[in-house]
Amino acid sequence: MLTKRKSGEASRGKLQSFASGLASGVIDRRSFLRQSGLAVGGLAAAGSIQLGAVRKARAAGTAVSGPQVQIKKNICTHCSVGCTVTAEVVNGVWVGQEPSWDSPINRGTHCAKGAAIRELVHSERRLKYPVKLVDGQWQRVSWDQAINEIGDKLLDIRQKYGADSAYWLGSAKYTNEAAYLLRKFGAFWGTNSVDHQARICHSTTVAGVANTWGYGAQTNSYNDIRNAKTMIIMGGNPAEAHPISMQHVLSGKEINRANMIVIDPRFTRTAAHATEYVRLRSGTDIPLVWGILWHIFQNGWEDKEFIRQRVYGMEDVRKEVAKWTPDEVERVTGVPGEQLKRVAYLFSHEKPATVIWCMGATQHTVGTANVRALCILALATGNVGKPGTGANIFRGHTNVQGATDLGLDISTLPLYYGLVEGAWRHWARVWDVSYDWLQSRFDEVPAKAGRPARTRKQNMEAPGITSTRWFDGVNLPEDQVDQKANIKAMMVFGHGGNTVTRIPEAVEGVNKLELLVVADPHPTSFATMGNRKDGVYLLPICTSLEMDGSRTASNRSLQWGEQIVKPAFESKNDYEFLYLLAKKLGFAEELFKNIKVENNVPVPEDILREINRGGWSTGYCGQSPERLKAHMRNQHKFDLVTLRAPKDDPEVGGDYYGLPWPCWGKPEIRHPGTHILYNTNLHVKEGGGAFRARFGVERNGQTLLAEDSYPVGSELTDGYPEITFGILKKLGWDKDLTPDELATIQRIGGNNVDAVSWAIDLSGGIQRVCLERGVMHYGNGKARANAWNLPDPIPVHREPIYSPKPELVAKYPTRPDERQFRIPNNGFTVQKAAVDKNIARSFPIILSSGRLVEYEGGGEETRSNPWLAELQQDMFVEINPADAAERGIKDGAWVWVLGPENNAKTKVKALVTERVGKGVAWMPFHFAGWYQGEDHRSRYPAGTDPVVLGESVNTVTTYGFDPVTGMQETKVTLCQIQAA
Amino acid sequence: MARMKFLCDADRCIECNACVTACKNEHEVPWGINRRRVVTLNDGKPSERSISMACMHCTDAPCAAVCPVNCFFTTADAVVLHSKDLCIGCGYCFYACPFGAPQYPRVGNFGSRGKMDKCTYCAGGPEADLTTAEYEKYGSNRLAEGKLPLCAEMCSTKALLAGDGEIIAQIYKERVVKRGYGSGAWGWKTAYRETVAI
Amino acid sequence: MHLLRIALAALMLGGGAAVLAQTGRDVPPAASTANPSGQNPTAASVREDQLLRELNKLQGRVSIPDGKAALLEQPQGREWRQFREGWLPWIGGIAILGMLLALFGFYFTKGRIRLDQTEESGVKILRFNAFERFMHWLTAVCFIVLALTGLNYIFGKRLLMPIIGPDAFAALSQWGKYAHNYLAWPFMLGLLLMLIVWVKDNIPNRVDVAWIRKGGGFLGDAHPSAYRFNAGQKMIFWIVVIGGLLMSATGILMLFPFSATDINGMQLTQAVHAVIGVLFIAAILAHIYIGSLGMEGAYDAMGSGEVDLAWARRHHDLWVEEQRAKTASGPQVHGARPVPAE
Repeated sequence: MLTKRKSGEASRGKLQSFASGLASGVIDRRSFLRQSGLAVGGLAAAGSIQLGAVRKARAAGTAVSGPQVQIKKNICTHCSVGCTVTAEVVNGVWVGQEPSWDSPINRGTHCAKGAAIRELVHSERRLKYPVKLVDGQWQRVSWDQAINEIGDKLLDIRQKYGADSAYWLGSAKYTNEAAYLLRKFGAFWGTNSVDHQARICHSTTVAGVANTWGYGAQTNSYNDIRNAKTMIIMGGNPAEAHPISMQHVLSGKEINRANMIVIDPRFTRTAAHATEYVRLRSGTDIPLVWGILWHIFQNGWEDKEFIRQRVYGMEDVRKEVAKWTPDEVERVTGVPGEQLKRVAYLFSHEKPATVIWCMGATQHTVGTANVRALCILALATGNVGKPGTGANIFRGHTNVQGATDLGLDISTLPLYYGLVEGAWRHWARVWDVSYDWLQSRFDEVPAKAGRPARTRKQNMEAPGITSTRWFDGVNLPEDQVDQKANIKAMMVFGHGGNTVTRIPEAVEGVNKLELLVVADPHPTSFATMGNRKDGVYLLPICTSLEMDGSRTASNRSLQWGEQIVKPAFESKNDYEFLYLLAKKLGFAEELFKNIKVENNVPVPEDILREINRGGWSTGYCGQSPERLKAHMRNQHKFDLVTLRAPKDDPEVGGDYYGLPWPCWGKPEIRHPGTHILYNTNLHVKEGGGAFRARFGVERNGQTLLAEDSYPVGSELTDGYPEITFGILKKLGWDKDLTPDELATIQRIGGNNVDAVSWAIDLSGGIQRVCLERGVMHYGNGKARANAWNLPDPIPVHREPIYSPKPELVAKYPTRPDERQFRIPNNGFTVQKAAVDKNIARSFPIILSSGRLVEYEGGGEETRSNPWLAELQQDMFVEINPADAAERGIKDGAWVWVLGPENNAKTKVKALVTERVGKGVAWMPFHFAGWYQGEDHRSRYPAGTDPVVLGESVNTVTTYGFDPVTGMQETKVTLCQIQAA
Repeated sequence: MARMKFLCDADRCIECNACVTACKNEHEVPWGINRRRVVTLNDGKPSERSISMACMHCTDAPCAAVCPVNCFFTTADAVVLHSKDLCIGCGYCFYACPFGAPQYPRVGNFGSRGKMDKCTYCAGGPEADLTTAEYEKYGSNRLAEGKLPLCAEMCSTKALLAGDGEIIAQIYKERVVKRGYGSGAWGWKTAYRETVAI
Repeated sequence: MHLLRIALAALMLGGGAAVLAQTGRDVPPAASTANPSGQNPTAASVREDQLLRELNKLQGRVSIPDGKAALLEQPQGREWRQFREGWLPWIGGIAILGMLLALFGFYFTKGRIRLDQTEESGVKILRFNAFERFMHWLTAVCFIVLALTGLNYIFGKRLLMPIIGPDAFAALSQWGKYAHNYLAWPFMLGLLLMLIVWVKDNIPNRVDVAWIRKGGGFLGDAHPSAYRFNAGQKMIFWIVVIGGLLMSATGILMLFPFSATDINGMQLTQAVHAVIGVLFIAAILAHIYIGSLGMEGAYDAMGSGEVDLAWARRHHDLWVEEQRAKTASGPQVHGARPVPAE
């Protein structure tokens, strides 16, 4: 809370002398100026010589006020909290940043990155024009030439190797519109290998959470954490990764005197503010959660009524949990039983309680299972679907939620329709192209090594290769990769290369490619990690601050960001680049059939309208550009805690801020969005809901539909399945449909009108009718404690691939080798070899990685920002004082961190600290530009090298992938540290 | 007349460094000059706390007292400012400052320590308000625009408070009463010879 | 560091400066932190009042490489200010004015020490060759500038600024700072040369005891014997050498601040530099007095380099004997070339 001075008059009296006791030697300003006035001529002139470094005036002068200043609002690109950035623009130059007081999310505040974001736009270290690599030298080329050459090469690769040989790696910094456009682009090109950063941050969350209760997203919001009485932050360090969220977390902690329990192997900046800190061994999340649940079940602290009404399969969990006695939990996790009993008590008694997690939970070979265990903890205690409860999942980039929603994912079309025929047909209708034409774009895959061939249709419905393993898709022998040919071209849009594990193998992959295109404001580590001499293009793309479009924050709120300044230098925005490339590749007409293109730039509002027209499944249908812009204009009207605007407001009355999805129906029906998912205490028209009946109605004789639980005001007072036109008819509600709606449904349904569901009804009629009757059209089901379709239906503990406790591997082995996402996942073999070779003896330290507040992701952008780079000038490894002493390592000294694979090594500085326990080391993941002791600064095009370079932690990280999503293991591997 | 102060609520500060970069952004502070910084005490231990620190604009400021050329002055808002025209870069203010606030650009060889730079409480310098000359030497003058220092305005957790001393002390007191703990108004005893009594 | 502290303690004779002698301890490690699991970090958090009671400064961790930034709070900055603004002007004022007063008193009571008239009057003997004079004057000129600019740091704002105004004063001080910083180097060079060239003539010996016993000639009738330098001059030599070295050492530390020591070390360094500086100036005032106004014929030694033989005989009889013994033809008189080569 700041006291803001309202008036800016000069009469504020700086010139008046400050009356109260000033000691001698301290003079007030008036006498100071008077004294100065005494000096005339002579030496006085010499007195004003400027010897110090005095800053240059900023571009547009000084007085940043007055009529010439334009205020533009966009969204900070550095994490998912969704902070509004308020820019002062003078003559097209971004001259200053002001606090965004009106935003209910950040309320004027920023973290280091947000407060320094202006520098991103006019950074001198940005890529200023397209360049290509010729004989090892960067050569400036024109955009036309670049697009032509890239297009020709892509068509050539497509011709020779097939569409799947080009990999489309998108960005979580894309706007929703760009993300959607790239996914659509991939579909029109004919591949499902379209991925983005969600793969490496929360893909396991999305899979785990969606498989539990319907949607893979944060159930509540940052603001809602203010309501919590107990919060468990497990595997997350919001103080560094999501600093603005801590405003809400700490306020909640203070106002409610809430319990803040931080569970983390590392004593983080977040842990410093906890009321209870639990240090566990990395990679033992499931035993820990089961350890908590053991006490809950043992003492009958679970919410039995909630479980009866709304949860399926909790009995199966009970059986697994019973194995995790306090002794076994302590043996595996290192956490004493008494402490977990206290945590269990608080979480089940001091309600509402919420679980908060981040990449500490997700980036594991058991990521999906970890996340599910946490969901089950919330379900067991009835902590879902109410204010102050839920799974508050803090996502990574600005729009990682939106890009995930819009299908920058190898396993689904936009908005989680999946890849099944129905999904393709739905989107073909929305896109106004024929299903057959789309199918014709895909490859036929020949039989390989005894595995059957795939038709075009089958290939169209087969998930692509995950971004965590793109280089395996390049490097593996042809017969190991289930597509027409290996990956030959990497098209990288706003994505760092150092964020994926096993860099030595990625380097090999980069070298083997035929084409590498990096479309980014910065060259990124992709551009420098190989030893390529040609076949690399770097295209300057503007930051998303220089473009219009919507972004979805972690809490599912959509915010419309407006272009702050025109794209700097020769950069183009993502929309224009994709348009130009599509034109070159010959499908621009189809791709932009219903999207207006002005001067080669597709209009983002039109793209969003197309998303609205097809986004029924996830409730992306109600957020029209007009409504989103109205929200940005009226930010100050939304409540801090409920995020809701007063009902009587003409523009945004009754809306939740940013129309958090699902925002049902057409924009005209003005659904307010859903602040808290699955909340039965609200009418569905007010943002209420229930668990999604996504998995059928019955299994093994048990109902999957809710019992005696339904949203307030529902005409159906029990569980019910997803609503289709057929059900609507049975209920007699089809009469409520307008003739237009009915006609649309009939057109879609063809011979099988009854099967037309709420999710593919392009008229929105089914949703509208259901909402009117208080019914949740996606059904009213139970959440699943047992997700039978997953590899581990009930989460079970599995030791990390490189376990520091090899003796536990026999009892808790990782999953058997399997083929996933077109390639093999040989985790079991690798784990066994590690035990057999006794890797844990020669590499005795657990290595984990994580985020620094100053940097983001691969870090090229933030390390190029001198305001941030100054704060973290060296890559380092945190090492416990005891481990350091054993090795003769001093704080600040250079050390080698050695990894157990590829003879990998990194040269970094030691930060000797008790943040990490003995036997644990931690490294930040934002650095690149050094490789195994070599400085690669000279590999950047002149003037584009980031201020700070350093070793990438992923040079020493190792094998290990989640079976459900291909998530990489970054949080537990083993290493050895030596003084350098 | 308002008596401007800073108060860092260490129980809110998470060392996010927003205050540091907000300052850089607002004043285009060059590399190597840190008008504000965040220090973490007992790093990595359960007693850890981080505190954002800059010039505290002391009453009876030691920097002003020891300055051999008397280049400091105190504004009506009790903001301690200095004149870069008068400053000779001797470095004495750094020795006297209890908070390590004064910063010196390194210009050339030994002995040419540049003119001192420090937090201005976003209040510019002795030049006329909102002039180019003032901006070039001291950065922007938010106080003259009726705004408070950007570091505090942008503080991620609203740990760093800026404004009239009595008001921010009141805010801090209310917080401490509400939540039941507080590690103190860091630096107040040294800077103002008073502290926030709870 | 330790020596400096002792030196300072000796010089300052307790009082406010003793506080400066404390150097900061680091924040003490918490009890057992092998596994902080189970603790309540909020309840355990550090509190400012408690830390300040336990420690004299609060040191933490910062990520920027500037180690100084890791110091959160050093309340003793106030104490250094008390030294600089409270004690130092008094120490300096008393030392310098006291010396001036003493010299004035001496001059007015005893008057100028006259040159004896003997048969050797008018005969010149070479006392300091050109190189020796060069190094003396090099050092001397630097010293005077250093002294004036140094004193400016203490007294300038009190004495000069009200007269010429802040702008002119700041400009002057700015140039003064440069002069102080840059002339320190030739001063140190001169100092070193003097040490090398003159140290052999400045080893104290028994003659000095007698000289001192006779008060350098003021007590009793017979003028005490002396070699090239009498005990008084030797005292000045050693004051210059030791004082100069201390000034150089502390000065270099301040030219490269924080390169070798922390904030308290810097404060101590400055205090030592300032206190020795003013005492040094006072001592040199006496030297200047005796070498010019106080004694007839003394100035010639550093002026032309040649002194009256009578003067030399009276004040440095043993040296004259030595010189004479070196040459068969008696004392080097009238333009004889000096023995040491230039």
